[in-house]
Amino acid sequence: MPYHEFECSKCIPERKKHAVVKGHGEDLTSALPLGYLNTIPGTISERGCAYCGAKHVIGTPMKDVIHLSHGPLGCTYDTWQTKRYISDNDNFQIKYTFATDMKEKNVVFGAEKLLKQNILEAFKAFPKIKRMTIYQTCASALIGDDLNAIAAEVMEEMPEVDIFVCNSPGFGGPSQSGGHHKINIAWVNQKVGTLEPKEITSDYVINYVGEYNIQGDQEVMMDFFKRMGVQVLSTFTGNGTYDDLRCMHRAQLNVLECARSAEYICNELRVRYGIPRLDIDGFGFEPLGNSLRKIGLFFGIEDRAQAIIDEETARWKPELDWYKARLMHKKVCLWPGGSKLWHWAHVIHAEMGVDVVSVYTKFGHQGDMEKGISRCEEGALAIDDPNELEGLEAMETLEPDIIFTGKRPGEVAKKIRVPYLNAHAYHNGPWKGWEGWVRFARDIYNAIFSPIHELAKLDISKDEIPGDCGFKTQRMLSDANLPDEVRNDPTLRQYTGKFDCLKDLRGKTYPVFERKTAAAPAAAAV
Amino acid sequence: MDETKSNPEPLDEVTAGRLAQLEDYIMKNCLWQFHSRSWDRRVQNEGILSKTTQILCGEPVDTGTPLDRCHWADAVVMAEEFQRRCPWLTEMPKDEVKALMDALHKHLDYILIDGSLNLELTDQHY
Repeated sequence: MPYHEFECSKCIPERKKHAVVKGHGEDLTSALPLGYLNTIPGTISERGCAYCGAKHVIGTPMKDVIHLSHGPLGCTYDTWQTKRYISDNDNFQIKYTFATDMKEKNVVFGAEKLLKQNILEAFKAFPKIKRMTIYQTCASALIGDDLNAIAAEVMEEMPEVDIFVCNSPGFGGPSQSGGHHKINIAWVNQKVGTLEPKEITSDYVINYVGEYNIQGDQEVMMDFFKRMGVQVLSTFTGNGTYDDLRCMHRAQLNVLECARSAEYICNELRVRYGIPRLDIDGFGFEPLGNSLRKIGLFFGIEDRAQAIIDEETARWKPELDWYKARLMHKKVCLWPGGSKLWHWAHVIHAEMGVDVVSVYTKFGHQGDMEKGISRCEEGALAIDDPNELEGLEAMETLEPDIIFTGKRPGEVAKKIRVPYLNAHAYHNGPWKGWEGWVRFARDIYNAIFSPIHELAKLDISKDEIPGDCGFKTQRMLSDANLPDEVRNDPTLRQYTGKFDCLKDLRGKTYPVFERKTAAAPAAAAV
Repeated sequence: MDETKSNPEPLDEVTAGRLAQLEDYIMKNCLWQFHSRSWDRRVQNEGILSKTTQILCGEPVDTGTPLDRCHWADAVVMAEEFQRRCPWLTEMPKDEVKALMDALHKHLDYILIDGSLNLELTDQHY
């Protein structure tokens, strides 16, 4: 597994140890990219900052909370209509965004008064909301404003409110991952154990951790848990509530999805409260099925998981296979932020037929690379924290049919005529669950075989524009080389779900399972 | 050279091939082996691989604590997948299964812990 040196980065020799090619017969002891290190001077990273990781990734998906940035207005921009962690309470957390709007005079004279004024105004403007998170930024950290003291002062004056303070300024780590870590530890230190659950409704109680409800992923998974009779005490943090997350200590099992952003709190809950951590995959038919089975096994209700697996697989497999037949051996650069490089690397190959020619992570640690490299096929190029030129060089060398990445590198890809899907926020998600996985396959299909994208490949300044052929449809592009028996296979079909697949879930009723133990007061339930 | 950092003894061709099949399944499909610290990985490897061995050999498995049950859940699914993907496993005598799983355990300890290039594994804090 030799290290890979990019031509464009020969002038930055430190970069060489951040990329490897997975070789035949080699294992993780042969080579592993460096990771979670400060960005090297001279390279332009596409990472976010530690404030971004704390607030925009983990804090803000909490749905019943005023999320206030104590800093200049620009820091909070990414919360306003640019994230897709939706909620079932009309998206309060992304509809409104709050910042103290620190100015030069606040930096000179201090901004604690400004902060208190903002807190009071925000609670007054939204009188039904009684919970708040406050995020330190670089500016307020550097001048030494004491956010905790102001929060304590307000809570004393307004006993009906509760406030969480996250001290994770932008410079507090090499990337957004530093902020993930800080907010995990801050939450478990400040809030877990400060409230008891209102009601324990099931014998089987979990925290669902590292799930951010991107385009409804959490709601899809909640459907499965409810069908199994499992109570989700809290979700950390997508579509989750502030008070539920204070009760995390009462769960029997932590079900962990994104270990990159949330393993810290699971580890702490295990050490402090003895709650075991079960790492799962929510993406892909087989990985998701096995994940539900493991949760079922833990509680002794694996038959309920199996019933869901059988029903969902029968419903959606013919549709997944329709796309698989058309996506076979399409080359993918799997370039997400952190966890999706390992959540997807093996299963998009196994279940959609695409070949992963490269994996990268912007803010992942070496542990993420261990997982990603283990799961992708031989020959794949694995890159840690690539700069834009390396991304371009990799695309020119590998000639992918599509990349899955964020919007910044995605727009770069589009300029060289490589279609991209937004790996962080999705295109037409949710992508979790059986139906979601088909929606993902449909998005890949639509991107690769887009007739508009075909037209974009022509450069009108130099290419000859063919005038003797008509417009090619998606099916003409995707089915051109398919054998007749596949093209006309009556057992396969395209996606038949609804445009909004969440609407029905939100009004759904669930079976009531008889409990083995009598309903007990919440505090004694575990 | 530090004994704990050396790769386990070379295996015969058949055993090595079989071990590679099991390793390939784990590394591509499981997540339990990738906890973030050395001590965590050792606990996971020991807990899940020993329970998988017991399941494959038809022996009783301790599920007394929540952690035991969590390891057991991973082990049950893995044992089933091993048997589905490696039919030869169901015909192996118990002592050979145990020897193979022991070799697998040693190998995983090496590539994931003792021979790992992951610099975070020895961090004293989470």
